[in-house]
Amino acid sequence: MPLVKVPKPKFIEKVQRFFMVDLLRGLRLTLKYNIGALTGSDPVAGKGIYTEQYPKVRPDVAPRFHGAPRLNMDPETHDTLCIACNLCAIACPEDCIDVIPLDIEIMVAGKPRKKKVLDEFIFDTSRCMFCALCQEACPTYCLELTQDFELATYSRAGFVWNREMLEQGRETVKYTR
Amino acid sequence: MHQVEIATTQETLLDTPEMVLNMGPQHPSTHGVLRIILKLDGETVIDLDCDVGYLHRGMEKIAENRMYTMIAPYWDRLDYIAAVSNGLVWVETVEQMMGLVVPPRAHYLRTILTELNRIASHLLWLATHALDIGAVTVLLWAFREREEILKIFERQFGARLTCHAWRVGGMPNDAYDDFEADVRRFVSNFPKRLDEYETVLSENRIWLSRTVGIGVISGEDAVAIGLSGPALRGSGVAWDVRKSRPYAAYADMDFDIPLGENGDTYDRYLVRLEEMRQSRRIIDQAMDKLPDGPVNAKLPKIVKPPVGDYYHSIEGPKGEIGCYLVSDGSAQPWRVRVRPPSFINLQALKQMCVGHLVADVVAIIGTLDIVLGEIDR
Amino acid sequence: MLFFLPIDFVDQMLLKFFSADTVNHVVWPFIQVVLVISLVTGWVAAANYLERKVSAFMQARLGPMRVGPWGILQPIADGIKLLTKEDFIPDKADRWIFFIAPYIAVAAAFIVFVVVPFGPDWAVIADLNIGLLFVLAVSSVGVLALILAGWSSNSKYSLLGALRSSAQMISYEVAMGLSLIGALMFARTLSLSSIVNAQSGDSIWFLLYQPLGFLIFLVSGIAENNRAPFDLPEAESELVAGFHTEYSGFRWSLFFMAEYAAMVVVSAVAVTVYLGGWYFPFVYRLTEAKGYHNLYVIVSLLVFLVKLSGILYLYFWLRWTLPRFRYDQLMDIGWKWLIPASLINVGTSAISIFVVQALDGWRGMKTIESLSGGLNLTGTGKGVMIVLGLAGLGVTGLLLGRINWRSRDFNLKSQRRNIRLVNIPQGKPAVPAVASEG
Repeated sequence: MPLVKVPKPKFIEKVQRFFMVDLLRGLRLTLKYNIGALTGSDPVAGKGIYTEQYPKVRPDVAPRFHGAPRLNMDPETHDTLCIACNLCAIACPEDCIDVIPLDIEIMVAGKPRKKKVLDEFIFDTSRCMFCALCQEACPTYCLELTQDFELATYSRAGFVWNREMLEQGRETVKYTR
Repeated sequence: MHQVEIATTQETLLDTPEMVLNMGPQHPSTHGVLRIILKLDGETVIDLDCDVGYLHRGMEKIAENRMYTMIAPYWDRLDYIAAVSNGLVWVETVEQMMGLVVPPRAHYLRTILTELNRIASHLLWLATHALDIGAVTVLLWAFREREEILKIFERQFGARLTCHAWRVGGMPNDAYDDFEADVRRFVSNFPKRLDEYETVLSENRIWLSRTVGIGVISGEDAVAIGLSGPALRGSGVAWDVRKSRPYAAYADMDFDIPLGENGDTYDRYLVRLEEMRQSRRIIDQAMDKLPDGPVNAKLPKIVKPPVGDYYHSIEGPKGEIGCYLVSDGSAQPWRVRVRPPSFINLQALKQMCVGHLVADVVAIIGTLDIVLGEIDR
Repeated sequence: MLFFLPIDFVDQMLLKFFSADTVNHVVWPFIQVVLVISLVTGWVAAANYLERKVSAFMQARLGPMRVGPWGILQPIADGIKLLTKEDFIPDKADRWIFFIAPYIAVAAAFIVFVVVPFGPDWAVIADLNIGLLFVLAVSSVGVLALILAGWSSNSKYSLLGALRSSAQMISYEVAMGLSLIGALMFARTLSLSSIVNAQSGDSIWFLLYQPLGFLIFLVSGIAENNRAPFDLPEAESELVAGFHTEYSGFRWSLFFMAEYAAMVVVSAVAVTVYLGGWYFPFVYRLTEAKGYHNLYVIVSLLVFLVKLSGILYLYFWLRWTLPRFRYDQLMDIGWKWLIPASLINVGTSAISIFVVQALDGWRGMKTIESLSGGLNLTGTGKGVMIVLGLAGLGVTGLLLGRINWRSRDFNLKSQRRNIRLVNIPQGKPAVPAVASEG
């Protein structure tokens, strides 16, 4: 070890060094935390333990959270709000949305008219990066990223959601303990 | 990448041949998938070589095939620890190229949230740096504070890590209802927490002996290599993009730049801790001055910057993160080039490590605060 | 005492089948060994659980909570997991040595419990008259296991870990052995039970006579166990897992058990030699009442375990607070501080014993009660001895501080120059129009 020039320490520094005050301070803090965890108090914020017991206690997800996609339906008629305009598919950077429209003829004021309606909606959640650009692009507030964040499945095919899954939502396992 | 030479012949019997130790890409403390080929004499490093690219996703090429608004989420994936800052580079570059005037409220919110992100990034750095040196408890404490920031991000942006925080021309949403209360609460508690970390680390003789005089780099060398951020300021060079070329609302903020003296690991540690305090100061000021008004500028239907090129950079938590954008006037950029602070900071690794022990290599990687998502892009 | 009847009853039963000699020297020791092994294994599991809980509390989290109430069955779940995991052997590993190394580690850690006096009378398996020597000798065999494991794994990380551990253990073994000599001067025996008896007869802990010796023993004991802040052989962030990088499943769990058992051994020796072992004031009165002998043994056992837990908590506490040393700094501490300090300690202990004996009879002072079994001191003698012990601690600290004060790592705090804060002038804003607006 090279010898270096050391400024002469003050007496109080010497004493502190001798009694290892620097180490003892740290030890005191961890002990404080240990006691605080048992008594439920923290040196600063008054809460001893910050763990969330996840499957048992589910976290409060923010209302703006970008999670699993959902296709909203009209609450009264239960028809889809989607007008098959394809804007979400255009806005998506990852090309993970496929909107498959169906041209049907409807009678408007006694005259036959062509109308585009939604036939199938495919959303590949494995490629989605949850940037919410599709949600912002949607003119009818149909496509929405919900608070559901448990998207794990047992196969790659399970990540590809079709219209039914997007409308009904997927069943997630609820843990009781 | 040059090949590390391995001593293949032994001249004498009593020879101590060098050992080549392959550190990574799977190693607990290379902070991701960095591969370091160490040439050791005993435990002393005599040469090293970095092998990067394990996380290469071709982000710059992807950007050439996306519309301007779509590229922002990819920027989050560069330095995923500081996604909010990264996103800001991109949107500001595009805005300034187009000459968009962003409302002041958006600028202030951007300032507050990027500073929060700087604290979050520095906290993660502190956690992993302390973990590398063996102080495990600090890791969990730092994560606890980071969690508070991530909760604010979740409520504001809808995501915790890769937030996709900004849109060209402003913000996706105004601040949520309890934003001010949340930020104020965090800001009031945070200094006490910082003091706690300092109690455990700053004066600790083991921490000092592990960091003082390790990985020294002089100011001239740091500038020559192109270091930026705390790694540069630790060597005593006063350079901060927030000061030298203020963006967002930094021109209105009053804050100091911490400068180290020796350019060693301990100085960089102190600089980053002090930067967290200064960030807190900026947040406090910005919250006081936060103006009302809209958060979005009027945007044309399709974002099309004029033909030309533009460079803009901001002070990210890791250093100066920049974006060089060449536009051909179409809806997609012609070329996007990232100035990655971690990648450039990593160049100093060899100079810092040679002559130190294996244990110091770990400490030096920690002090450079690299993120592999940004190095490999 | 009805509760303790079974012990006498079993004794009577055994005497029906075996001769008295066989019962005393074969059957009872066998039962004791089984009991101690299960006790220590249980203690290892408990220590594992407690360490996880303690560390969790220090880090403001909960620790294991899922298996059983408050996660109390977690060690069992971990054990089952480890037993059912694949036992992976690396290609080109030295298979036999790779197989044997964990067993050496476990055996070396467990054999030591033969001489550890958990309590008086039947709570010690074999009261060897060279007990302390036996402990030091056997526990140093543990190094062999680490070296063999590191060597045979055919991995550079393991090899580095093994080299570190061998160097570390050799240097700290010296300090550990030397630090005990001071205490042995007071006890005048190597038998661990007699050391406890010497303390109980004098109603004092040797910690008070030997603060420096205790400190050295504890530090070198932690280093000997490869525990943080001296956990260099398995330094997770540098060497992945050091010597047991390549081990998995059952063999890894053996190393794990050996580590915790070795921890218990060092704590047990520290308790025995410095903290009075199973001795606790007034418990001895239980023997005076008839039929309470077994209760006395059990209470003493509990006292021992409580003291042991105290030292183990210290282990956890240090581990989860302090950063890790570097290899050369570790050697610095071993050779520049601990070994000289333990040598000085031997000298100061000898001098203080001499002084106390010389003071006896000086100006009517009475320091020595009797010299028949060890050194029995009066109150005055104890006081003088405690003062001399503290003085020895101070003198050693000052002396070594004086010698080492110019070495690089000595006083880094005073070398530290604070960072400075500058407020450099603002540059030209990127977008001047907007910035002035705000």
